[in-house]
Amino acid sequence: MGDEIGINRLRRRDFMKAGLVFGAGAAGLAAGYAAVPDAFARAVYAATTNGVSNDRILVMIQLAGGNDGLRTVIPLQDPVLHDLRPRLAAMSVGSALPLDAEVGLNQNLKGIKQLWDQGRVAIVQGVGYPNPSFSHFESIRIWETGDPSRRQVDGWLGRTLARNYDADGHPLAGCACGTAEVPGALRDLQATLTVIESQRTFGFTGGSEVEAAVGALYRNTPGIYGALFDTAMATARDAVAALQAAQAKYRPAAQYSDRQQLVYASKNQLAAALQLAAELIVTGTGVKLLHVTLGGFDTHYTELARQDDLMAYLDSAVSAFFQDLDAHGMADRVLVATWSEFGRRPRENASGGTDHGAAAPLLLIGGPVKGGLYGEAPSLTDLDATDNLKYTVDFRSVYQEILGPYLGADPKEILGGTFERLGFIRDPVATF
Amino acid sequence: MAAMDASDAVSPSPSPPRPRARIDRRRALAGALLGGLGLAALHGALAAGLLDRTPRRTGQDWASPLSDEKARVMHLLRRATFGASPEEFERAASDGFRRTVDRLLEEPPAPPPDLWSADDPDRGSRLQLARLQLWWVQHMLATPTPFAERMTLFWHGHFTSDVQKVGLQTPFLYWQNLTWRQMALTDLRSMLWKVTVDPAMLRYLDLATSSGQAPNENYARELMERFTMGVGNYTEEDVRAAARALAGWVEPRPDRYRQVVLDAGKGVQRRYGVWDRPRTGTFVPRRAYQGTLTYLGRRGRFDTEAVLDAILSHPATAVYIAGKVAEEFVSPNVEASFVRGLADTFRSSGYDVKSLMRAVFTSPEFGSDAAYRALVKSPTEFMIHVLKTVDAPHLAPLVVAAGPQMGQILFAPPDVGGWPSNAAWISSNNVLARVNFAATVVGRLSAVPPLNRLLAQVDGVLGPRTASSLDRTDDQRQRLLLLLASPEFQLK
Repeated sequence: MGDEIGINRLRRRDFMKAGLVFGAGAAGLAAGYAAVPDAFARAVYAATTNGVSNDRILVMIQLAGGNDGLRTVIPLQDPVLHDLRPRLAAMSVGSALPLDAEVGLNQNLKGIKQLWDQGRVAIVQGVGYPNPSFSHFESIRIWETGDPSRRQVDGWLGRTLARNYDADGHPLAGCACGTAEVPGALRDLQATLTVIESQRTFGFTGGSEVEAAVGALYRNTPGIYGALFDTAMATARDAVAALQAAQAKYRPAAQYSDRQQLVYASKNQLAAALQLAAELIVTGTGVKLLHVTLGGFDTHYTELARQDDLMAYLDSAVSAFFQDLDAHGMADRVLVATWSEFGRRPRENASGGTDHGAAAPLLLIGGPVKGGLYGEAPSLTDLDATDNLKYTVDFRSVYQEILGPYLGADPKEILGGTFERLGFIRDPVATF
Repeated sequence: MAAMDASDAVSPSPSPPRPRARIDRRRALAGALLGGLGLAALHGALAAGLLDRTPRRTGQDWASPLSDEKARVMHLLRRATFGASPEEFERAASDGFRRTVDRLLEEPPAPPPDLWSADDPDRGSRLQLARLQLWWVQHMLATPTPFAERMTLFWHGHFTSDVQKVGLQTPFLYWQNLTWRQMALTDLRSMLWKVTVDPAMLRYLDLATSSGQAPNENYARELMERFTMGVGNYTEEDVRAAARALAGWVEPRPDRYRQVVLDAGKGVQRRYGVWDRPRTGTFVPRRAYQGTLTYLGRRGRFDTEAVLDAILSHPATAVYIAGKVAEEFVSPNVEASFVRGLADTFRSSGYDVKSLMRAVFTSPEFGSDAAYRALVKSPTEFMIHVLKTVDAPHLAPLVVAAGPQMGQILFAPPDVGGWPSNAAWISSNNVLARVNFAATVVGRLSAVPPLNRLLAQVDGVLGPRTASSLDRTDDQRQRLLLLLASPEFQLK
C-alpha cells in the first residue's frame, strides 16, 4: 500500500492511536500563540469524500507584523488624519494614487494601481474582528485559524485542503513558498502540504541514490513524531520530482527581483516566492492553495521609509507575478489576497511610527475579482476604547467569499458560521 | 565506551567479505533490555547476526533505555548541551548522571574568544553577519561549558533581537550575545534588567526612541507577553502604563567615530561609531514619565525597576518561564502540575535559573519513558551534534550556510516570539535540508568513525527501518550518512 511511492496513508484516528494528540499541559499554562499544539503543523495524506474540482487557484500573501492600513489605502479628505499623525499623514496624503475622491493607494503601489485601473483589484475596507487582540501571536493565530474564539487549532486553509483537495494526497495541492516551516493558515493534521524554502536548494544533495537510501528510513517511524517524519519525507520526495518537472517546463515571462536591503538570507524573498508560485501554477502541477509571506510591517519606529519600501517591494513582486501569469494566460484563474494580523494605531508615536492597531483594508487581486471598494472605511473620530479603528467587515466575510463563490468549497463547514456577503468575485461558483 | 572499542567486528574491511553486522530490531526496540545490558550489549547484538524480519505496526513508540544510567547521561547531554563528542560522553558517563548535572550547572560560562583580532580595523565597530554567526557556531563546538552555550541559544530565542532591525553598523548584537551568555545561569531579576538596558534590545523593541510624553508600546508589550508573563495576564492599560514607566532609555553613544571608505571608485564613505568597550543604554530623566500610573493593579510612580519588580511579583511570570523551559527541555506535553512545581521552585529560589534547571533535569519527568525522544532538535542543535559526532569542527561554516534552508538563522529569529519548536521543525523542506546537510558533511570527511561510536549517539535504539538499512550496507560512509540523516538522530 503506497510503499512503492513512499506514501503512508494515515488518518486522524491513527494519530490518536499513536498518541499524537497533545494535551493542554504546559502549553496551556504558557499561553500565547506558541501554545498551539505544534503537532498540528503536520500533514498526512488522507482520504476525503467531498472533493472540489475546478481550476481556481488561491495565493495568500501575509504582510507579517501588522500592516498600516492608513498608509496602504489612504483617506484623502479627512483632516483628523493630520491631527492624529502629523508626520505620517503629511508624507502620505498628497502623494497617494487616488482611487476615487475619498481614498488613494500608497504612492509606491503603482503596479497594483494599474491592475485597479483594469478592474482587477477589489479592496475590502475596515476588516477586523470583535474584541481585537494586540498581540502579534494571538492575532495571527486568529487570522490563521479563522476563529476569534481561539478554540480552533487547524488553519482555515489547512481545513479547506483536508476537506476538499486531498483525495489523491497530491503533494502540491497546498504549498508554502519561501519558508522552511508550515504556515499556520495551512496547518491541519489531515492536509498534505509542501514547504519549499528555495527552489535552488530543494533537491537531494547526492542525487537519487541518497534519496532512495535515506527515503527508505522514513517509513513506519516509531514515536510521537513518526508519522510526521514519514509524511514530510514522502512529500519532499514527491515534491522534488514534481518541481524538477516544472522547472524544465517553466520560462518566466517577467522580471522578478528581491529587494536586497529588505532581505536577510532566506527571510522575505517575496519575489522569489511568487516566482516559484507562478512556476507551479503555469506548469500545471496541480497546485491549489499557496501561501507566501512578506515580513517587516511592525513599524513602531521610522515608519515612513520602512513601510514605503515594503509597499514598493510588494508592488513590484505582485506586478511581476501578474505579468508572468498574463503571459501564460493564467491570470484569470488566480486570486491573490493579502492579510495581516492587524492594522496600526491611528495616532503616531514618538518614534515616528505606530503601535499595534485593529481594523485595516485587504487587497484582493486578479482576474477573478470584480474590481472596486467594498466595506466601509472606519471612522477616525469614532475610535474604540483602545484608540483604535472599529472594524466594519468581519475578516471571515472575506474568507467566506474566497471559500464559497471563488473556490466552490463549503464556507460554513470550514468557518462554522455564515457571514455578511461581500460579492467581490466576478464569476461565483453556482451553488454559492 | 572502552568495551565498545572492539568495534572492528562490525566495521568490515574491504576484503575478504565477512558476514554483515546485524542489528537485532527486537533488541534495539526493547529498551528495557538494552538499557539493562548497557550499550555494550548492542555490540553483542550486532555481532550475533540476528535480524528479526517480522513486520511492525506504525504508531509504536521508541523503547526508552532511560532506566540505564549511561543512556540517561546521553539523554541529558543531548538536551542540556548540543550532544556530546565521544570523549565528552565518556567523561560524563564515568561521572554519572548526578555529578554531570552538577558540573553542567556549576561551571561558569566559558567566554568565547574576542570576535576581533587586535589589529582588526572594524574592532569595536561594525559587524559582518556571517562572521558573527561563524564565531558563535565555533564557540558552540569548542566551548568547555556547552550547557551555558545551550542556554545562551535558549535565551537568544526567548529575549529575541534580530539583525534586520538592529543592524550591523554597531557592535550591539555582538555585545548582546556576550551579555546573554554572562547572564545565562543567573537570576531572572538581574536578567530582566540587563535585557531592558541592552543596546540591541533598546533598538529592536524601540524603547530607545520611546518617551514618557509619546510612549512607544513595543518593548512594554513584548516584555510582558513574550519575555515574562504571557498573554492574558495583563490588560491593554497595563501595556500603556508600562510603556510610559519604562521610557527614558537611549542607546549608548560611541566613544569616537571613524571614516570608512566603502567604495573608493564612487567615493562612497561612511562614518561608523567606535566603542572601546561594551556599554548599556543611558537613562535620560527628561525623556521619562513624571506622573503616577496604575500598573498591574497598583497605583504610584513607576520607574524601570518598579516595573520589573511588579512583573516578578506576578504569579504568572514563574509559570510562564517554567512552562517554556519544560517544553524546551522535557516534553511538549508535560502536565500542568509539573510546570506549577517548577514554577514554585523557580520563584522560591529568587528566580534562580540554576535552581530551575536543576529541578528540570533531576525531575522524574525528565527521565520518564514519555520524555524519551519527545523533543526534536532545532536545526542548530542538529548540525552542531552532527559535527561533534564526527569530530569535524572545521566544517563550522557549513552550519552557518545551511541554517537558512532549515529555518534557523542565528541573530535573525523569525519574529519576537523566537523560533518554533519540535514538530514545527518537521516539514518537507526541513527534512530535506537536514538530509542534505548530513550528506554534505559525510562527503567532506577524510575518516569515518566506527559504527558503534555512532550508535552510542542514539543509545543504540533504532527503528526497524533504520536498523535494517544500516544492516544492508557494509559501507562505513553510507552507514554514517544513514545514521545522521535518520529520524532517530533528529530527536533528543
